Amino acid sequence: MSQIAGHLEPYLVLAGILFSIGAFGFLARRNAISMLMSIELMLNAVNLSAVALGAFIPALVGQGIAFALLIIAVAAAEATVGLAIVIAIYRNRKTPLVDEYDTMRQ
Amino acid sequence: MSLVSTLIRVASEGGESAAQLPEYAPLLLILPLAGFLFTAAIGRRLGKLAHLVPLGSIVATWGIAMSLAIPALLGDLGEHGASSELFTWIASGSLTFNMGIHVDALTGALLLVVTTVGALVHLYSVGYMSHDPGYWRFFAYLNLFMFSMLLLVLANNLLVVFAAWELVGLSSYLLIGFWYTKREPGLAAKKAFITNRVGDVGFALGLMGLVAVFGTLDISTILAGVEAGQLAGPAATVIALLIFCGAVGKSAQFPLHVWLPDAMEGPTPVSALIHAATMVNAGVYLVARMSPLFAASHEAMLVVAAIGIFTAIFAASIAFTQTDIKRVLAFSTLSQLGYMFAALGVGAWVPAIFHLITHGFFKGLLFLGSGSVIHAVEGEQEMPKMGGLAKTIPITYATMLIGTVAIAGLPPLAGFWSKDEILGEAFKFGYAWVWLVGMVVAGATAFYMFRLMGLTFWGKSRVSESVHVHESPWTMTLPLILLAIPSIGIGALLGFPFADGILVHGLEPIFHPANVLLGHEHEAWTLFGIDGLLMLASVTVASIGTVIGVRLFRSDHGDRIRAITARLQPLYAGSKNRWFFDDLNDLIFVRLGTRLANAAWWFDRRVVDGAVNGVGALTSTGGRGLRQIQTGRVQNYAFGIALGLAAMAVAYLVLGS
Amino acid sequence: MPLPDTLPLIGITWADALFMMLGGVTIAASFFVVLGRDIIRNGLMLILALGALAGIYVMLGAAILAGAQVLVYIGAISVLILFAIMLTQSKAAPAKLTFQSQALPAALIASLLAIIFAITLGTNDWKATVFADTPAPQGTTSTAAELFGPYLLAFEVVSVLILAAVIGGIYLATIPRAGQIGAEDDEEVR
Repeated sequence: MSQIAGHLEPYLVLAGILFSIGAFGFLARRNAISMLMSIELMLNAVNLSAVALGAFIPALVGQGIAFALLIIAVAAAEATVGLAIVIAIYRNRKTPLVDEYDTMRQ
Repeated sequence: MSLVSTLIRVASEGGESAAQLPEYAPLLLILPLAGFLFTAAIGRRLGKLAHLVPLGSIVATWGIAMSLAIPALLGDLGEHGASSELFTWIASGSLTFNMGIHVDALTGALLLVVTTVGALVHLYSVGYMSHDPGYWRFFAYLNLFMFSMLLLVLANNLLVVFAAWELVGLSSYLLIGFWYTKREPGLAAKKAFITNRVGDVGFALGLMGLVAVFGTLDISTILAGVEAGQLAGPAATVIALLIFCGAVGKSAQFPLHVWLPDAMEGPTPVSALIHAATMVNAGVYLVARMSPLFAASHEAMLVVAAIGIFTAIFAASIAFTQTDIKRVLAFSTLSQLGYMFAALGVGAWVPAIFHLITHGFFKGLLFLGSGSVIHAVEGEQEMPKMGGLAKTIPITYATMLIGTVAIAGLPPLAGFWSKDEILGEAFKFGYAWVWLVGMVVAGATAFYMFRLMGLTFWGKSRVSESVHVHESPWTMTLPLILLAIPSIGIGALLGFPFADGILVHGLEPIFHPANVLLGHEHEAWTLFGIDGLLMLASVTVASIGTVIGVRLFRSDHGDRIRAITARLQPLYAGSKNRWFFDDLNDLIFVRLGTRLANAAWWFDRRVVDGAVNGVGALTSTGGRGLRQIQTGRVQNYAFGIALGLAAMAVAYLVLGS
Repeated sequence: MPLPDTLPLIGITWADALFMMLGGVTIAASFFVVLGRDIIRNGLMLILALGALAGIYVMLGAAILAGAQVLVYIGAISVLILFAIMLTQSKAAPAKLTFQSQALPAALIASLLAIIFAITLGTNDWKATVFADTPAPQGTTSTAAELFGPYLLAFEVVSVLILAAVIGGIYLATIPRAGQIGAEDDEEVR
């Protein structure tokens, strides 16, 4: 009966839109932390697509969630280290704006 | 003597009449070489005594040479001479080049001239170079030269001859440029060496041709092969002409004659020895030695004769107007060498060698005499600044007069005998044009030589006031006197009776194979036939030239001379400028060569270096361009990642899985 | 009284309506995250987006994942992000400039990606795979069976990874003492 929620495509469409938004944010924002937030969005989009596929394909029952759980764990680790790096650089450069990290410039 | 013995390995040459040389024969080479090495090593410290060892070694060499040459000329060493193998020089695969000495009548003739004039020049140099700081160096070079020349004459292998060829060229270079602190001697030495080199290219190519045909450069093997007909036709012509190239260079024939007048920059003993009596004769010797090769090709003989007689008249015409005393003699040498080659070219082998001998003596005398004159007027070489020296330097005057009469070809002095034989045989063998030009040259020779005498010794003295004219020391006048003797008598000694003298008998067997190839036979000499007529003609021409020269230049007839030259102004100018041949050389080779070299340099700089530098520049620019990617900004790198991802996805979509 | 099958007046099922609402919230919040000016507001909007996503997970029958999402993402990571924002506040940051110079190319790339997704989704034949009509409830048991079955090694490795990340993060974020690289008195530091 459900036209939308009962089919796979809408979930994947949602995931795709989320990923695109995250990609734009990652490439376009100045603040490093904003970039990290966009990365989290992208990771969540992937999670969503994994779970959706796991839900609608009987052969993949349970795998989708397991996969998504592992992704969450990895995302947590990555966020930890990333933020620690941003804080360390902030101490050095006194700014969180990636525009101004350009000493490696040729 | 044990050293000498160990050097000689007894090996008999092929042929039925090759005798063995005495064991001391290699001393001919060792003594001058030892003299050179000794003087080069220690000479500087010996100061004024530096001449003792070189002079002694050359006198000893003269003695040994006479002990071998006189028997050779008289035929006592056998018809084909004697030889001894010394050692194997190069053994490479199928090519072997041995070093050995060969003495026959031809060698004897050369030895006679080379060692006699050489010894006398050494003695002369003691006086002439006594004030020169490079005294020891001069004698070292002289000995080196003697060694090289003797090696050239004695060698029985053409490769050794070639090596000696280059060595005499080197010695000539060192001696011409002896006063190297001045500019002209260095330039002249370079010119001599380079011009010689041009001829040597042909020579070397000819040698390669001989190796290709015969597989060896051993002279007797080659000549035997040519006699047997192994080399004939166009191949013989080509090889003969190539070898003649070397002779043209070394003996300063047209067009490689340009170095000889300039070589007068060297000290006068050098001019006398090298450029009159010995080195320039090497070309004549070479052609004479290889006579069967030339006889095998009619075209080559024609070329030799043509170049020879052309050089003769070419040089004679220039000698008319030269004012430097040594230059007149230089052009005279060129002219007489032309005579010799003309004789070789028409097949008059013996007269050519005869003239070589007589010319060696009287030209050596004339050069040494001119050196004495220059010494007397303290360095002045221009004849307009001389004059009236007959009374003040009598010995020099007398000996030079003897030399002049000899070269003019007036009987009974030496020049008459040899020159007359050349002209006579040229006519009899059918080369009337050679005979005709030769007659003109004979007259011209007499004229310009007596002009030289007149300007230098007769008339009023034009010597500058500050010069104290004095006769030369005995070390210089003694060689003059000693050389005057053969200038008077050697013609008669070697050439009488006509066509039957010592020289003819000695040399006839050597040139027999060539004569066979040419089809010439030995004819009897008829006084009241063609030979007498020809002799009368040549004497007449020489006398006419003498008389004209004497009358014009006996006393100061400056006005008459000026009148004559004014009427012939273009000819006069051309002759004075050596017929602009040097300028032609300069235009073609020097200027054009410089242009080509500059063009090549431009090409190398711009194109070749440009390409190499261009590669570097390209890499550098590319690098600089690529460096723009390294912005150092994380966001740009992230953009790159996203771009790559998008590209891969598109590719995957477009190309399928 | 039981709920009617479809929403009154609109005529779509409850599931659809719920999905559309949650999806709309997610998308709106994420737009705010990437386009907003104030960073703290962005962080809070991120939390909202993640929360809505947790709701969608529930709709897909992955309740445990929704729990994990809330606990970890919202409870830990988002808080961490907010802390980091707090620590890196710079007064001099010009408020007007939130986007970089490459914002336009970024938008283009993002659009391109979206188009690629659309094309992939559109052209793929989903019916080739066996599908269920409704999302199957993915219970804890099946998840556990997967985690401790095929994904066991990955599970253990990820735990080690988290440990390493935590230690590394602590080290990186420590204020260097005097004498160490990066300390206050280090002259090489700009």
